[in-house]
Amino acid sequence: MHARMRFLLAGIPIVALTIAVPFVNRAEPRIFGLPLLLAWIAFWVIVTPAFVWGLGRVDHRW
Amino acid sequence: MVNAVSSLGIVFTVVVGTILFALFSLRRIAMSPQEYIVGGRGFGAVFLWVLLAGEIYTSFTFLGAAGWTYGFGAPAFYIMAYGTVGYIFGYFLLPRIWQIGKERGLLTAPDFFSARYGNKPLATFAALVYAVSILPYVTLQLSGLQIFLTYAGYGHVDAQLGAIISFVAIVLFVFATGLRGTAWASIIKDALVIGALLFVGLAIPIQFFGSPVTMFDQMMRAHPSALVLGSATAPKGTIWYVSTVLLTGIGFFMGPHSVAAAYSAKDASVLRRNAMLLPVYQLIMLLVFFAGFSALLIAPGLTGTAVDQSFLVVVQRFYPSWVLGFVCAAGALCSLIPSTALLLSAASILAKNIAGDLFSIALSDRNRVILTRTLVAALGLGALVLWIALKTTLVSMLLLYYNGITQFAPAFFLGFFWRRTTTAGVATGLIAGITLAVFLASRSIAPFGINPGFIALTLNVTLAITISLLTKTKEPAI
Repeated sequence: MHARMRFLLAGIPIVALTIAVPFVNRAEPRIFGLPLLLAWIAFWVIVTPAFVWGLGRVDHRW
Repeated sequence: MVNAVSSLGIVFTVVVGTILFALFSLRRIAMSPQEYIVGGRGFGAVFLWVLLAGEIYTSFTFLGAAGWTYGFGAPAFYIMAYGTVGYIFGYFLLPRIWQIGKERGLLTAPDFFSARYGNKPLATFAALVYAVSILPYVTLQLSGLQIFLTYAGYGHVDAQLGAIISFVAIVLFVFATGLRGTAWASIIKDALVIGALLFVGLAIPIQFFGSPVTMFDQMMRAHPSALVLGSATAPKGTIWYVSTVLLTGIGFFMGPHSVAAAYSAKDASVLRRNAMLLPVYQLIMLLVFFAGFSALLIAPGLTGTAVDQSFLVVVQRFYPSWVLGFVCAAGALCSLIPSTALLLSAASILAKNIAGDLFSIALSDRNRVILTRTLVAALGLGALVLWIALKTTLVSMLLLYYNGITQFAPAFFLGFFWRRTTTAGVATGLIAGITLAVFLASRSIAPFGINPGFIALTLNVTLAITISLLTKTKEPAI
């Protein structure tokens, strides 16, 4: 359970920023004015700290 | 000419001011290797932040990322993604590097190879690859520095001379202060860079287009294909993007100065917190993309290496000289400060791993610091001479840095997280990986658009695992 949780928390943002990208490789729709591809990458950059925070919680580091 | 004096005056003031600030902030000058090379392992969150983030904002990213945006468009987005992927790996890796560094008193990146694998030839090989690949990296920073000074001087002054003078000043500075001085100077550097990027990334699109959003409206009409990646197997298409983000994300902390930065933390928790928060810092890359796209719309038609200077062209043409001065000052610090961290790590590697471990020279603390300092000065001068003599051909040597250094990743990741890892496995994978990476990259071979470094890394990992399974482990070193 613990291992699967860590795997998901680390894996989801990595997958989102790599192999998921070809599936959002479009300029439209625009999100807050940004082309979809750029908005997708920016979104995952913003939420990655939350995933790493979760990792730290699971690991009892904070 | 008046413009040149005011903008160069600002660059000069900022560089000298940064050096003075760092000198006055130091409470003592270090004479132990632990102090001089890894800051006494006492760095808290802020120092770690600027040291680890220093890798992102070198002059190469500053100029190159905007240049890629201008020249290629969406492929530049990988720069924002790979750092973020790098920090996720960093959450697992950095505390382990710190731990073994603390337990064994490690100073340099090759020291890890001695500590984990207890194998002198492997550590020596790593030391040589690290040291050799750093010099072209420093010379690239010098080329960046020259570009900023050329623009600040409006073409009226000898920028090469300016680059030489400021580089000598910064080498003397790191000679005197070591890693602690670099960290203090990085604080100023990062503050100034953020200011400059806010300007070029927001003020320019607002002034010329109304807002970044309307700037993208114009991009949609004028260059829609620049906002997406090419088809799967196209050069810089989606397959290239995925393989490049994975490769560079895995290799993100493999630079010898990054390993030294991990040693310098005061505890593991500082590193974990940095790994959590640093991705936010990557968002600043958005401003670089805005600047690059704006420059494409405002000043189209640049080609070749000139695209790297696209936003400087806009600032020089449309803004007062003091604005240009501050932007160029930020750029100059981006060239100079990362150079100090690189020179310091190369010098400490040569002093510790080659002179010390191999030839038993300068083993006492005092002598080791003296030798490291001497080598900082000598390597700095060496980089300067190489740069003046060979400028362009050196850029191809950078392939060794980017493609070579990443091949160290399996030695670290497998070494920490898989007990069966053996020296033979890691060494075979490493040598095969570096050879293949440099060969493919130098021939520009990229089957299906895959980044050649990624192919080499795959071979490296496969060999490391297979041969580790076939050979016997000694008592695990960790």
